[in-house]
Parts: sequence; C-alpha cells; structure tokens
Amino acid sequence: MNGIVLTRIVMLVGVLLGSGPAFAQIELSGSYAPILYEDYIERGPGSDLGDFTGMPLNDEARAKALLYTSNLPSTMERQCLAQAPWVQMYRPRGISIWRDVDEVGNVIAWKLGGDYLRGTVTIWMDGRPEPSPNALSSAEGFTTGKWEGDTLTARTTHMKTAWIRRGNGIPGSDRSTITAHITRHGDLLTIVTIQEDPIYLTEPHVVSRVWQLNPRANANQYVEENCNTANEIPRLQDTGIVPHYLPGKNPEADFMIRTYNLPREAAMGYAEALYPEYRKTIKGVYTPPASCGRYCCGWIERQGLPGAAPGLTCNDGGLGDLGPPRRDAK
Amino acid sequence: MNSQLPSPNSQGARAAVLLAAAVVLHLGLSVDVRAQGRGAQAPAGATPRAAAPFDPTGYWVAIISEDWRWRMITPAKGDFPSIPMSREGQRVAEAWDPAKDTAAGEQCRAYGAPGLMRGPTRLHITWQDDNTLKLESDYGTQTRLFRFGGTSSAQGAKTWQGVSTAEWIMGGGGRGRGAARRGSMKSVTTQLRPGYLRKNGVPYSASTVFIEYWDLHIEANGDQYIVDTNIVEDPVYLQAPWVTAIHFKKEPNGSKWDPSPCDAKF
Repeated sequence: MNGIVLTRIVMLVGVLLGSGPAFAQIELSGSYAPILYEDYIERGPGSDLGDFTGMPLNDEARAKALLYTSNLPSTMERQCLAQAPWVQMYRPRGISIWRDVDEVGNVIAWKLGGDYLRGTVTIWMDGRPEPSPNALSSAEGFTTGKWEGDTLTARTTHMKTAWIRRGNGIPGSDRSTITAHITRHGDLLTIVTIQEDPIYLTEPHVVSRVWQLNPRANANQYVEENCNTANEIPRLQDTGIVPHYLPGKNPEADFMIRTYNLPREAAMGYAEALYPEYRKTIKGVYTPPASCGRYCCGWIERQGLPGAAPGLTCNDGGLGDLGPPRRDAK
Repeated sequence: MNSQLPSPNSQGARAAVLLAAAVVLHLGLSVDVRAQGRGAQAPAGATPRAAAPFDPTGYWVAIISEDWRWRMITPAKGDFPSIPMSREGQRVAEAWDPAKDTAAGEQCRAYGAPGLMRGPTRLHITWQDDNTLKLESDYGTQTRLFRFGGTSSAQGAKTWQGVSTAEWIMGGGGRGRGAARRGSMKSVTTQLRPGYLRKNGVPYSASTVFIEYWDLHIEANGDQYIVDTNIVEDPVYLQAPWVTAIHFKKEPNGSKWDPSPCDAKF
C-alpha cells in the first residue's frame, strides 16, 4: 500500500467520521393530527363568506375575493384552486411526513403529504438551486429546505395561482413565495408559514399552527390527488358559465359587519387591523353582538346537550368529533 | 515488541499520524456539535443570559392574523368555539358578567398569562438580571418574570402572571467553532390567579399549568418572529389541553409601545 493510497483512506475515514447529523437535526417523520384550536370555524365547517379578517389584502385581492360564490369551486376549471402547497394550514386534516434518502442514508428530501394537498410537497435538502423564474409552476410548487438548529426552514416558489385560506375566495398568485418553519417539540409539531405575494398582499401573511404526533392520525385519510376535476353542477355543464357576483353586488360582502358588528376595514382584510393599535381606534365604536348565534358552544361535543345558554346555536358543520380525547367523555 | 512498531518514517507511521489527526478532527467537531446538541449545557459558569441560544430581547408585536374576532375584540357572550371547555367551564363562561368583574376589582382576568399571550399586545422583553428574563405587555400593563435554573414553587399568592421557570433547550446545528448557537426556550408557569382564556369569560382555574416553547425565526430579509407554542392544562375547566401557537414580529424600537390598563369589557 503506497503512501498516497493510505493518505486517501485516512482522509476518507476522517470525512466519514466528521459527517453525521448535519442533514437531519431532528426526526420529523410520522403522522400528525391537526389541533384545531385556532381558526376552528374556517378549518372545520368553513369560513364565513366575506370574512377576510386577519389578512393583509390589497384592493385587487379584495375586489377579486368579492366576486367569489361558493358555486365557483364546483366548476371543472376551478376545483383545484383550493389545493395549494401548505394549504394544510387552513384545513382540518393531518399531515404525513417522511424522508427520501440516498444510498448512504443522507436525506435528499423531506416529503409532506396530506389529504388536502394536491401533490406531495417535496422539500429538497440536497442543495439544488431554485429553477428559473420562468420555469413551470406546479400544484405543489418547488421547495428547498435547510436546518436552522432543530427547525427545518423551507422556501416554496413556482406554485400555481390558488386561494389563500379556505372557502371564501381570497386569492393568491403564482408569484407567491412561502417560507415555512417546521419545529418539533416532543410530540407537538409547529409550522409557521409566511406568504409573500406581490400581486395580492400588502405585507407578508403569517400563520402558525400546531399538530400532534399520532400514528392513527392519517390512517385511510391520505389521498395523493383528491382534487377531482368534474363539473359538480349539471346546469353549468358545457355552458362556459363562471359563477360569480358582479362587482358591488355580493350580498355577503357585509356579512361580518351585520353579523358580528365588525368594522369594515377589519372584515375586508386591511393590514392596519392586524396590529394592536387598531383596537384602540375602534374603542367606543365596536360593540359586541348581544348574543352568539352561530357555532357557539365551546366545543363541538356539546352539541345537542341541554343547558346551553339561551340564544346559542351549536353547530359543528357536520364534522363530528375532531378534538383530542375528552376527560369527561361518556 | 518494539520491532513491531513502525518507524517514524514508515508509511504505516504516516498513516497512523493521519488517522489520529482525523480522529482528533472528528472529536473536535463532535464536541462542538454536542455543545450545541439537545440538552447540552453552556460552558461551565455561563449564566443563562450568556448561554442564550437566541436573543429574545426587544419589542415584539402580536400579528392578529388568526382568530381575529376572538383576539382583537371582545366577542359576544357565549361565542367561544376552538376551546375544549369542560361542561363546568362552559357553565362558568355563560355566566360571564364584565360589570361584575370590574366591580369586584377583577378587571384583569383576561390579562393573566394564558389569556394575555393571545391578546392584541406588544411585548417588551429584557434581561432583569443574568438569570431572569422580564416580559412586559402594554396590553393591560402586565409583567412576567422567567427565572432560569429554578423550580416552580407552590408557595405564595397566586397572581395574574404566576411563577414562570425557564430553561434553554439547545438544538442541533452548525458545525465548527463560532457556528451559531440554536435552540428554544421552554417555560412553565404555575401559581396563576384564576382568569380568562378569552375576553368573554372562558375561564381557567388556579390549577392551570401553562407550558410554552419559544422559538426565534430570522427571515432572509431580516424580519424576526418569535413563535410561542403553548399548552394550557387545566383539569377544572378544560376537557383537554388547549394548544395553540402565537407569533410576534420584532419591531425596531419602542415607538409604538402604548401601555393601557386592564379593561373587563372592551
């Protein structure tokens, strides 16, 4: 064995010894159940029409969202507009996470699948560059990731035009980028998404959600392609009709205002309403409704039980029991 | 025996030296990684302040992009979806009377730690000393202290902000000396005076334990967010732990800091 060979062997040993956890700081693989204790109405039964609270929309986005009717996603061409990468932030289903590895076990990509994703989100970890801005957009977008401590930070580009949030037509453009931070604390998985969209948002839209590791979470629920392109309304078949409201004619445009006494700028998604100082501007102007009339009773198991306060209407939207086991379950 | 040892000039000797160097290099790296690994301790003698894996200090603003109708304003009585209340919790919430709370000097019930953190607030976080992190809110003008290295005591009066113990959870991460330290802060708050999780009277009891995991995320454009993944455990008024995540964005200064007193109604 000559010296050169020995030197190479030793250097190889050194490199192998020096490699290790750089690619995978923490195990993310598993099946996670959603914890629906935030934005339950949106993620469960579905958003109120005209509810753009918590959004930093520009005028174009507002105008487009107000054209929306709930018949629109029933048309073939628009059925998949709800299926965007990271749409699970607004949905009631779980996430499955797994990894793709190379022949020596290095993680090449983390994969996120879920019932409402149209195509698996692949978070490439092998350092590949983003495609050209002119490259094809896809339903799942293009995502790269890197570890920042125990947080996996991902960046998604090249997505298709899709609705942001759920069920009321808030638009997102194909020029959106989404940064996601995925952090695991024990069995809890926190995902933060920061969506930037130069077409429809006036500032980044930030959402943080929590899931819980649960091997039963996604059994029989995972569907790779659940977005069926079929016309669901026979009378619209082959007519070319696109269900919509004309500008200024949406009867639900003031639903949040008349139902919950919300100020218009809050209901219509002006960014100023996201910050604490906004609250002080409506002191003396806003008064709570006299009673709650929709989705009231604290958690859905209460539905149908006697004893709710007068004026409460319990309604779980037909989703049934979505929460963790109850202490006082029968 | 000596004859079996390679001479200093042999190839075997060179290989041994190189192998030893590789192992030393690996050990050096490993020590560095372990120093940043889970549960790793800061250098001997380092205070919690010096050992911090991220800088939580500064002014932070809550972005109310979730549950807006329940966080920014006071919702109607009985309007409390999303919270896994027990039947007793619901009974108490349905009896909410803000005028009665005010008259009883209980107007800060919605400003106790588990309710406050989801409120429309700014936070000012500073080090009170090397072992104590101080969190102030302008919403309700509250102060909570996070004490590192301590244990939660069941002694003393219960307060709106309770007693918070904290620890750093060091994460994996960068290799090599000088690499950025990463990690989270975990805090556990007890000794809480009974209060509200929501402004419209959703209760938590004196038995509540409030657990939080704090993470810092720094964006490519320099924006910084602290995310507080938190768990409210209350065997009295909740059917199950109430788990949410709250995000705050860092502000350049305190120019928007605007303290206001507790208000039971608005």
